[in-house]
Amino acid sequence: MTMKEDDTTDGRNRFSRRGFLAVSSVATVGVAGCLGGEDDDSDDTGEENEDGTAPDVVEEDDVPGPDPPVVDDPPAAVYKPTHRESMGLLDTVQVGDYLLLPHFTFPHRFWLMRGDDDEPTVADPEDPGLHFMFAFWDAETGNMLPVDITESMTVRQDGNIVDRRDMWPMIAQSMGFHFGDNISLPEEGTYEIEVQLNPIRARKTGAFEGRFEEPVSTEFTFEFDREAQQLATEGVEFLPEEEWGERGALELMDHSGHDHGDHDNGHNDHGDDSHDHGEHDDEHGHDDHNGHDDHEDHDGDHDHGEMGHGEMVLPPADEYPGVDLGVHSSGDADFVVRYIEDSRLAEDGDNYLFISPRTPYNRIPLPDMSLSIEGEIMEAMEDEKRPQQTLDDELGHHYGMTISLEPGDSFEIVVETPPQVSRHQGYETAFLDMPTMTVEFEQ
Amino acid sequence: MELPDPEKLPRREYLRALVASGGAAALSACLDFTGDDSDGDRPSGDEDRPTGDPETRPPRQHAWNDALGTDEHGNVVPPEHHVLVALDLDGQPEAEDREQVEAAFRSLEQAYAYDSEGLLFTVGYSPEYFEQIGAASPIPQPEALTSTETPAFDEFDALVHLASDEPAIVLEAEEALFGEVSEPNGVEMEQTLEGIFERAEPRRTGFVGDGLPTQYTDESGVPEGVPEAFTHESGVQGTIPEDAPFFMGFKSGFANSQAPEDRVTIEDGPYEGGTTTHIESLDLQLDTWFNQDGRFLRVAQMFSPEHAREEMVDGIGENLGASTDIEQFVDQTSEDARDGIVGHAQKAARARDDDGTPPLLRRDFNTVDNEWPGLHFLSHQRTIDDFVRVRQAMAGEDLAGEGIGQNHNNGILQYIFVNRRGNLLVPPRERRSLPEL
Repeated sequence: MTMKEDDTTDGRNRFSRRGFLAVSSVATVGVAGCLGGEDDDSDDTGEENEDGTAPDVVEEDDVPGPDPPVVDDPPAAVYKPTHRESMGLLDTVQVGDYLLLPHFTFPHRFWLMRGDDDEPTVADPEDPGLHFMFAFWDAETGNMLPVDITESMTVRQDGNIVDRRDMWPMIAQSMGFHFGDNISLPEEGTYEIEVQLNPIRARKTGAFEGRFEEPVSTEFTFEFDREAQQLATEGVEFLPEEEWGERGALELMDHSGHDHGDHDNGHNDHGDDSHDHGEHDDEHGHDDHNGHDDHEDHDGDHDHGEMGHGEMVLPPADEYPGVDLGVHSSGDADFVVRYIEDSRLAEDGDNYLFISPRTPYNRIPLPDMSLSIEGEIMEAMEDEKRPQQTLDDELGHHYGMTISLEPGDSFEIVVETPPQVSRHQGYETAFLDMPTMTVEFEQ
Repeated sequence: MELPDPEKLPRREYLRALVASGGAAALSACLDFTGDDSDGDRPSGDEDRPTGDPETRPPRQHAWNDALGTDEHGNVVPPEHHVLVALDLDGQPEAEDREQVEAAFRSLEQAYAYDSEGLLFTVGYSPEYFEQIGAASPIPQPEALTSTETPAFDEFDALVHLASDEPAIVLEAEEALFGEVSEPNGVEMEQTLEGIFERAEPRRTGFVGDGLPTQYTDESGVPEGVPEAFTHESGVQGTIPEDAPFFMGFKSGFANSQAPEDRVTIEDGPYEGGTTTHIESLDLQLDTWFNQDGRFLRVAQMFSPEHAREEMVDGIGENLGASTDIEQFVDQTSEDARDGIVGHAQKAARARDDDGTPPLLRRDFNTVDNEWPGLHFLSHQRTIDDFVRVRQAMAGEDLAGEGIGQNHNNGILQYIFVNRRGNLLVPPRERRSLPEL
């Protein structure tokens, strides 16, 4: 793998970076090797001026923004990106049934999934602003809700709309499933941000049944200032260049706040609804879910199962109930397959096929795909059935369908549409071409 | 409201901004700008502008098609400028008030010709109106139609939809209804709405027509009034096509996608010959549409994936003639959705009649009322249920979760934000003034 500056035809220098803070770790991007990923301190030179004062906000156009290098010719699989992003966190807020964590980083390229195209569409940042991200959980249990809820965001300045859009459902190696997009902010100043979270229309079971049925919204003010820009940029950590493009993944970040800045200027207008960070830390632990049992390629020692609020990753395969029908791989995704007899999840308490697709290495769920089952067992069924995306408070995100299997049966899991989630760097070449998997119920 | 500055805006944008501003001062400025006599008594746009004859107007208020021109393909061309004037009853009306209201409307009909150069208008009544006069409402209250919208609902009593190619005419007619102009186009207003109706909120305006959206944009193709941040120096995917009639860059209102006026006309009962109106006011997201999305995605999401794959749409869709040919792709809607993308027109066409007739007659138009690109989706249909059925087919919630999202890759849902809904009954012309009294 070799690094390269973004060499696409619309290379980065065409884009104005007005207003972006050029801190050293940013300005020196591209000097390969000087920002070792294992050196968490990065290089502090330039974080301060020589006289010790804070750096100036650079106003000139064409200042190289934090436009990290991309990996040339990455594998068609999950791979290690060139860097770990820097983040600012805003106050966590309860919005209806949801617990919402708004956070942000610098605007960066990401990859959109549009239909079954083999090549994701690239979304490049084009204006100054921020990449906003929203992680969310069930406010009651801290369970993650990794499905399309069509979150929308409206940004206003002095009451006038600056931006209004549906955010993209997205996966990032270090942040898991979230909604996000690059948002242009024309100048430093105070913005009012309204976030609407919509109902979950995926099948909901267990304690989730009947919940998440109404659109809910919250508003907060956001100060786009030097501090925000610093939080968005100065914590960028670069991996050693020799690791770029290696098969593997970053660990999930700990969003509880101690590694990353809280942005004091994000004021929540609904203080009553606001939850402090960490409130849900201890109630629903999945601390033991962080083993990287399926793959060995982890170079860190952090324990990153939760994000200070709720779960971020799925349990390892061996924690699921039922008959073990294996962990299958397709497009570099892992599919945990179980046959659960007399399941409350099946029609009439019948038997249930459970399929849990997740990323390798860090077990981030892969939602919003379309699956079907093929094989002789399907011919016996009267109705055309397919596995249904389901959120269950105990078994979590999965695809499931009522089925009856005997030892000796075999069937195929067909991925008709790969996960319709946008991707941060390191995921954009995986989970695209997803071959059919053959599952055998051994005698 | 502060009036726009003619020095700072291109001609058409200035005129549009005056329509949006409204009021006597805007009208006066509009007439000054177009070089007309504006002594206040005879502020007509054109000395020779034809007047009209109420006796020749058709019995259906919504019978505009014959009065409108058509393009070379036979598609009806809508009037360019629109104002939606909301009205509240000023106290409890009496039966004898009907004559005053009718005289006001007839005066407008006398003042202007019945065509795009003159004035077209409809008068509709909301459920609030019927409630206020103690009658059963023939139409339902508006409600949220999708699981992701939280619209405001119209609460006014009545609405006049004014439409003309001439910005001065919609302004002048509006002023005349409230006595601010006494002789529109030189014809005396026999009566006004004063004392019976008063202005209500919101006042809405807009425009539609080939090239109009880009007339109202800055040089980078961005709608006027939209913050600089919206602009893209890169212009990667281009911007609104110069000849596009709508912000999203395509023609609409293809003859084959529009209900015939008969199809939207109430067939029996006290409102026989009338129709209903639904107005859905939307904000649009054009940055994603024009910059993150490419042309393939725009065509696939607006029409159908097959339209994109087969490259069936050139430019704004002029080559489609009078038909999008969407019918042939309706049956594969679910299959397309499972493959990851489904088109807006394709989904909506699922709600057509068995014989393929569309149930809605769109009379929608672009707006920047919110200082942001938007659309007032105004449509006529025989019943509000017809609208609900089509709108829910368009929402495609039955398709979501199987390869497409609730909004993403699901037609144009990702690019529209419903702000407001309202339902109106548009009586036949002979009952358009204070019905049920």
